[in-house]
Amino acid sequence: MIGCYDFCGHYEWTFAWLEQQGGHELVREYWAKAISEDSQRHAAAEIIPHGFEGMKRYWGHTLAEEAADHVMTAREDVYRIDMRQCPSKGFLLRNGLEQYRDYCDHCMGWIGPLMKKAGFVIDHEHNHCGQCWWEIRRADDPKAPSGPGELSGAQDVRLMPQWKSPRMDLYERSLDADDKTTLP
Amino acid sequence: MLEPGCRWRCGGEAMSEPSALPYTDTKPVGAADFYTAINATFRFVFARFGREGLRRYWADLGSRYHAPVSQRWAKGGLPAVAQYWREFFAAEPGGEVEVHEQNNEVRLEVRRCPAIAHLRAQGREIAPYFCQHCYFVGEAMAQPAGLSLRVCGGGGSCSQVFRPAVSELAPQNLEDIATLS
Repeated sequence: MIGCYDFCGHYEWTFAWLEQQGGHELVREYWAKAISEDSQRHAAAEIIPHGFEGMKRYWGHTLAEEAADHVMTAREDVYRIDMRQCPSKGFLLRNGLEQYRDYCDHCMGWIGPLMKKAGFVIDHEHNHCGQCWWEIRRADDPKAPSGPGELSGAQDVRLMPQWKSPRMDLYERSLDADDKTTLP
Repeated sequence: MLEPGCRWRCGGEAMSEPSALPYTDTKPVGAADFYTAINATFRFVFARFGREGLRRYWADLGSRYHAPVSQRWAKGGLPAVAQYWREFFAAEPGGEVEVHEQNNEVRLEVRRCPAIAHLRAQGREIAPYFCQHCYFVGEAMAQPAGLSLRVCGGGGSCSQVFRPAVSELAPQNLEDIATLS
């Protein structure tokens, strides 16, 4: 049987398997179809009709179940997550598992298509070491992402001493896993 | 694999306690919602590559991703197989499984499959061939260790038997594994 205890391990392995079988587009399609539309349909059922309230309910449940060290900040115009220790990337790092070139892309790979349907845009940054932040706003809200500490105070992941890594990926008003800037 | 120094930089530390599981987590039990992704992955691979492609995915998963398990089974024999599955099901939420090691075999009596139970509780459409993954993945894990697996049942409960491959074992009849609807 394939287990959920090590799900992140075989999930990450599957990205590499799919890329070998059908290239990068197949991996993107997997995130958009299998994960966003099929596996995580309960996220769509919360977020598309209920917006920010649905985000609070969905991530409130799922991040608690995954025992994620995170902080959620919800305002009427923005929903923010500071992921201080990602349980998923952390599992891979602790166990030395790395078959696919950028595991962290999978989050934007399935959340991006969902937010596009729901009418939101995403500012997001991850450091490939288990820390990231997300700010989700309505697509017609032109506001720029917050500065460090502005929304989540001292819990802002950007204030953690280990935040900066040699490879940072930045998404600005994005909905696509490939629509990013990699910062040295 | 990880570039040198990344473990330190990322704060990752290898687990130190001995375990029959090659990959370990900080929480004792996995998140059941991941069963929906496993189910969706099977459906996606089947849609893109058909039955044979899905079986190839399962076989690769068993022989490559789970290679460290096969190595432990090859070294430790049936006691290692039994211990693996005990620890495995202890880390899966909501299952009821007995693991028996006797008469030169390890028998798993799955009274309540944690994956099927969760998918049903969530009202998910379960891929019809879902239960076959236990055979194709498990057999690919067993073969490098000189073992073989036969599965009977499915749809929420089944029996899985690991025996030395030299035993007189009839080929797996896939009709012995339940098809779900």
